[in-house]
Amino acid sequence: MKKEKTPLLRSSGFQNLLASLICVLGGLVVGFIVLLLIEPSGALKAILAIMTSFFRYPGKLMLKYFGQTLVRTVPLLMCSLSVLFAYKVGMFNIGVAGQYVAGACFSLYSALAWKLPWLPCLLIGMLAAGLLGAISGVLKTKCNVNIVISGIMLNWIMLYSTNLLLGKVKSPSSPYTLSLKGTNPKALLPSLGLDKLFFDEKSVTIAIPLSILIAVGVWFVLQKTKFGYELKATGYNYNAARYAGMKENWNVIITMFISGALAGLGAGMLYLTDISPWETTCASVPAMGFNGIAVAFLGGLSPIGSILSSFFIQYITTGGGFVDLQVYSSQISDLISSLIIYLCAFVAFFRFFIQARIERAEKKKAEADNANKTEEGGNAQ
Amino acid sequence: MILLLQYTLIFASVLMLVALGGCFSERSGVINIGLEGTMVIGALGGALVMKYMPPEAGAFAVVALTVLASALLGMVFSLFLAVAAISFKADQTIIGTAMNMLATAGATVAVKAINTAASGGHDVSSDIAYTYTKDLFIVRFGEFEFNWFMLIAFVCLIISYIALYKTRFGLRLRSCGEHPQASASVGINVFKMRYAGVLISGLLAGLGGIVYITAGVSVWKFEYGVAGFGFLAMAVMIFGAWHPMRIALAALLFGFCRALGNVYSGLDLMTALNIPGVVYNMLPYIISLVVLAFTSKKSRAPKAAGLIYDKGSR
Amino acid sequence: MENTPYAIEMINITKRFPGIVANDKVTLQLKRGEIHALLGENGAGKSTLMSVLFGMYQAEEGEIRKNGKKVKIDSPNDASALGIGMVHQHFKMVECFSVLENIILGVEDTKLGVLRKAKAREKVVELSKRYGLSVDPDAMIEDISVGMQQRTEILKMLYRDNEILIFDEPTAVLTPQEIEELLAIMRNLAAEGKSILFITHKLNEILAVADRCTVLRKGKYIGTVDVKDCTRAQLSRMMVGRDVEFAVQKEDAKPGETVLEVKDLCLASKRSKRNSVNNVSFTVRAGEIVCIAGIEGNGQSELVYGITGLEGVLSGSVHFCGEDITHATIRKRSLLGMSHIPEDRHKHGLVLDYTLEDNLVLQRYFEPEFTTRAGVLRRSNITAYAERLIDSFDVRSGQGAETVTRSMSGGNQQRAIIAREIDKDPRLLIAVQPTRGIDVGAIEYIHKQIVAERDSGKAVLLVSLELDEVMTVSDRILVMYEGEIVGELDPKTTTVEELGLYMAGVKREVKQ
Repeated sequence: MKKEKTPLLRSSGFQNLLASLICVLGGLVVGFIVLLLIEPSGALKAILAIMTSFFRYPGKLMLKYFGQTLVRTVPLLMCSLSVLFAYKVGMFNIGVAGQYVAGACFSLYSALAWKLPWLPCLLIGMLAAGLLGAISGVLKTKCNVNIVISGIMLNWIMLYSTNLLLGKVKSPSSPYTLSLKGTNPKALLPSLGLDKLFFDEKSVTIAIPLSILIAVGVWFVLQKTKFGYELKATGYNYNAARYAGMKENWNVIITMFISGALAGLGAGMLYLTDISPWETTCASVPAMGFNGIAVAFLGGLSPIGSILSSFFIQYITTGGGFVDLQVYSSQISDLISSLIIYLCAFVAFFRFFIQARIERAEKKKAEADNANKTEEGGNAQ
Repeated sequence: MILLLQYTLIFASVLMLVALGGCFSERSGVINIGLEGTMVIGALGGALVMKYMPPEAGAFAVVALTVLASALLGMVFSLFLAVAAISFKADQTIIGTAMNMLATAGATVAVKAINTAASGGHDVSSDIAYTYTKDLFIVRFGEFEFNWFMLIAFVCLIISYIALYKTRFGLRLRSCGEHPQASASVGINVFKMRYAGVLISGLLAGLGGIVYITAGVSVWKFEYGVAGFGFLAMAVMIFGAWHPMRIALAALLFGFCRALGNVYSGLDLMTALNIPGVVYNMLPYIISLVVLAFTSKKSRAPKAAGLIYDKGSR
Repeated sequence: MENTPYAIEMINITKRFPGIVANDKVTLQLKRGEIHALLGENGAGKSTLMSVLFGMYQAEEGEIRKNGKKVKIDSPNDASALGIGMVHQHFKMVECFSVLENIILGVEDTKLGVLRKAKAREKVVELSKRYGLSVDPDAMIEDISVGMQQRTEILKMLYRDNEILIFDEPTAVLTPQEIEELLAIMRNLAAEGKSILFITHKLNEILAVADRCTVLRKGKYIGTVDVKDCTRAQLSRMMVGRDVEFAVQKEDAKPGETVLEVKDLCLASKRSKRNSVNNVSFTVRAGEIVCIAGIEGNGQSELVYGITGLEGVLSGSVHFCGEDITHATIRKRSLLGMSHIPEDRHKHGLVLDYTLEDNLVLQRYFEPEFTTRAGVLRRSNITAYAERLIDSFDVRSGQGAETVTRSMSGGNQQRAIIAREIDKDPRLLIAVQPTRGIDVGAIEYIHKQIVAERDSGKAVLLVSLELDEVMTVSDRILVMYEGEIVGELDPKTTTVEELGLYMAGVKREVKQ
C-alpha cells in the first residue's frame, strides 16, 4: 500500500493547534468585553498590557520579568504533564491540585525542618506527591472509587494537612513559611549561572531546562516505548489490556504515581527557588493544579504542546499584573484562563467542525471529479 | 452547645441544598463538578441584593429577593454546564473544573470592579458586607438563632423527595440518568430532562451559596470562593447514595463535623482533646473517602451519569 | 374507508450514513393481522429500516403510509401515536425501576404531576392475563429473567394499545422452549388483530411463524415472498445472494495427547449466590474441536474466563500441557501457547483506538522482535509484521496497518483478531462465538481457519450459541446448562432436537 503524506489541514496536530487558537482567541475576546464593561476608556490599554506582558518593559526589567514568568511556568508545565500523562492512560487526575500541594508541603518541610539539601528535598516532595496519586490509583483498582471523586477528597485532605504541617515551620509573626535563604540556603535549587541570563533574577534555576527535558521525556515514554504502549492500552481499553496479559491494575497505580510525582516535582521546582512562601492559612486548594488541567487541554494533550500552552497561560497571568490596578483587577487574567479552559472542552467539537468542513470540501471536489470522469466515460462509449 | 447545634443545622442546610442540586443533575445523567463555582455565583447574587437592599424594606422582601437572586444566578451559571455538556457533548469534568475557576475569577473581578467604582479607586478589595440585612434572616429563640434558610432547606428536601420519587417528572428524570436510550425510545426528550436536571442543580447550589456565606460572617471575601463547600456537598451526595433522605442525614453528619471545627474552642471537652481545628475540617473528606472505599464496589450512582448522550448511539 | 389491506407501508425508503447507503429504495408492506418477517444478514439494513419506521432516524427518500395515508414519523413519539411499538434487540429498560414503572414510563397517568400507579397496574395485570404474559409488576428489572424482561417489553407495547408490533431479533437470548412460547404469543397477538413485524436471520423461525417475508441484502430490497410457498434454501439464497454451504468440509478428527484438562472447576457468580460454573470437568486433545454449546448465560463465558485467567476460580484446577495453570497469570498462559478469540471483540479483543498494527502485536509486543532491551518499541518491525498478517489473512482496512481499528468493519476486526491469535502458533485455540455479528462470507472463512488449525494438530475449544455452527464444525459437543455440563454428544449421531433438550435442561446425562 502506498503511503501518502497527510495534507496539513488533515493532520491532527494542525487541527489541535487551530482549535487551541480558537480557544485562546475566544478567551481574549470575552476578557476584552469584560474590561469594556468595567471601564471602556482603558480597556484597550488593559488588554494590550495582558497580551504584551513583560515585553512592555525596557531591557533589563523585561528580562527579570521574563525570568520570573519562566520560573512560574515550570510548575504549570509539570502539572499539565501530570494531567496529560494520566489522561493518556484514561484517567482524569483532578487530584493534581492536591498532589501539587503535597509536593510543596514535603519539599518545604524537609528543607526547613530537616535542613536537607535541595536534591533530597525535591525527591521527597516528588515521592510524597507520587504516593498521594498512587492512593487514588489503589482506591480505583482495589475499591473501584472514581478517580475524580477520590482526587477531590484528597485535594482537601492534603490542603488541611499541609497547613497543619507547614505551620510548624512558619515565621512566628505571619502565616507564611520561613524563607529558604535565611533558614537553609543549601535547599535552594542551583542556578548554574542561568540567573545571569535574566538580569540576575535569582529564582531562575535548573528547574527551567529540567522541566523541558521532562516534557520531552514524557513524550518519548508515551510514544516510543513498550511501557507507554502498555499504559495507553490500559487507558483506551482496560479489559483488553487485561486480556493481553498486561498488569492492568498495576498500570493504573503506577500511572497515578508518576502523574502525582510530576506534579509534586513541579511544586518543589517552584517553592525551592524561594520565589514565594507557602501561606499556612490558605483556605482553598491552589489553582496551579487546575490551571494544569487547562494547560494540558490547551496544549492538545501533547507534552510539546504543553510547553507552549503553559508558557502562554503564565504569560498572560503575568500580564494580568500589569493592568491598571486602580481600575481593573489582576484576576482578569484568571478569568481569561478559565474561559480558555472552558472553551477547551469544546475542542472536540471544534475539531469535528473543522474536520466536517474539510470533508465536505473534499467530497464536493471528489463529486466534481467523478462527474467529469463519468462524462468522459460516456463520451468514450 | 446551642452554638454547636445552630452551626450544625446551618451547615447541614448548605450541604443539603447543594447536594440535592448535585443529585438532580446526576440523576438526569450529568455530573456537576461545577457545584462549587455555582455556589460562588449564587452567593454573589444574594450578597449584592443584601448589600443594596435597605433593611427597612422588611424581612420578607429581603429574604425573598435574596433567595430569588441567588437561585436565579445559580441557574443562569449552570447553563454553562448544560449547554456545553448536553448540547455540545463536551467533557463534563473539564467543564465543571473550568466553571469553578471561572466563578471565582469572575466573581472577584466583578466585586472588585464594583468596589473600585464605588470608592473611586480607594477600595480594591473583593469584599461584600451585608451586616444589617443579615439579621433579617434570623429569629432568636433564647440563645438559638433560627435562620429562615433552615426552613427553606427543609422545604427543598421534601419537595425534592416528592419530585424525584412521586411524580412523572422524577420518574422521567431518573430514567434519563440510568438508561437514556430507553427514555428516548418511549418518547422522552432526554436533552430537555437533562437541561432540567442541571438547571435545578444550579438553582439549589446558588441558594446553598448564599446560605453558606451568611452562615457565620457578615462580610465575604470573594477571592476565596466558597472554600471547598461545593466539593464537600458532592461528598454528601455520594455518601447519601443519591437519595434525598440519606443526603439529609449525610448533610447533618458532615455539617456537624464542620460545626465542630468552628466552635470546638468553646467546648471544654473539645479543647481538652487538643485537636487542631483543621482536623475537623478534614474529617468529612476522610469519612467520605473511607466510606467510598468500602461501598464503591457496588455503586449506586446513576448508571449513565457522566456519559454523553448521543441520539445515534444505541 | 380502509380500502387498503396494509396497516403500514414503507415505500422506496433510502437512508444514507456517511460512507454507506444503509437502505437503498427499500419497500416493506405489512398487512393487518399478519406476521411479516424481515430477513437479512447482519448489516443488511434491517435495524436501520426499523429505526426509520420507529422515528429514530429520518429517511432521506421514500414515504411511510399508515392505512394508505401518508404519515411523517420524526420521533418515537410520532411512531407511538400511530400505534407502532417495538421490542428492541437490546431491551430498553431501566434496570433499577420496577416492571410497572418501565411499562408506564413515557405514558404515565398523573394527577397534578403526581404519579397514579393503581389504575396502570390493573391494566397491566389484565393485559398479562389476556395474552398469557406472566410478569410480576413490582419486581425490579435487574432481578428478573431475560424471558420476563422480554414479556415486559411486549406488555409495554400492549399497554400503549399499539397495533403494529415490531420484534427485533427477539429470539437471540431465549432458550428453545422460550422461543416456542414467544412464537405462540406472536401467533396469539396476530389472531387478536395485531400486525407483527418480525426481524430475524433465523430461517426456521420464519418458516414456523411468518405469513410473508421481505428480504434485504446489503441495504437493497430483494423481494417479498409468501412463506408457505418457500423452502429454506430459497430463503437463504435470497438472503445471501448465492447458494450457501451449510456443511463445513472436514475430515474426521485424529485426536492426539491431552492439551487442556479442566477438573471440577467452580467460578463464583457476580449476580447471584449460585456458582456461574459448577464442577465442570472435561479435556481437550490435540487435533480435535470440542464445542461448548448452550443458551447464552449458562456459564460458558465464565468457564472461558476461568480457563484463560480473566477471572479467578473458586475451586478445581486447570491443567495445560501437563502444567497446573489454575492460578497462573494471563501472560503465562499466553506464553505457554494459549490463544483466545474472545466473545466480545470490542470489550476484550481490541484496543479500538489503537492502529491495526498495534492491535496485531497486542499479544507479542514485548518480544525481542518488537521491543529493544531498553524497552523502546521497534516500530518498523511492528509495521512489517502487521503487513504480513494483513496480507496473509486478507484483513481489509482503509489505511492498511495504520488504520485506526475503530473505523474497520466488524468482519475485518474479527479477521484481525483471528490472524493475531492463529499466527501465535498456539497449542490451544479458544474461540468464543467467533462468528457473532459478521456476514456469511466471513463466517465460512473463519470456520475453514478453525478446521485448518485442528488439522495441523492444534486443540480447539469452541464456544457457540449457534446450533448450525455447533453441529457442523465440532468433533465433540459438551452442553452447558446452569453452569454445569449436562451432556456430551457426538455431532454425527445427535440431532438438533436432542441438543435443544439438553440446552434447555430438560434432559441430562447422569454423571459417571
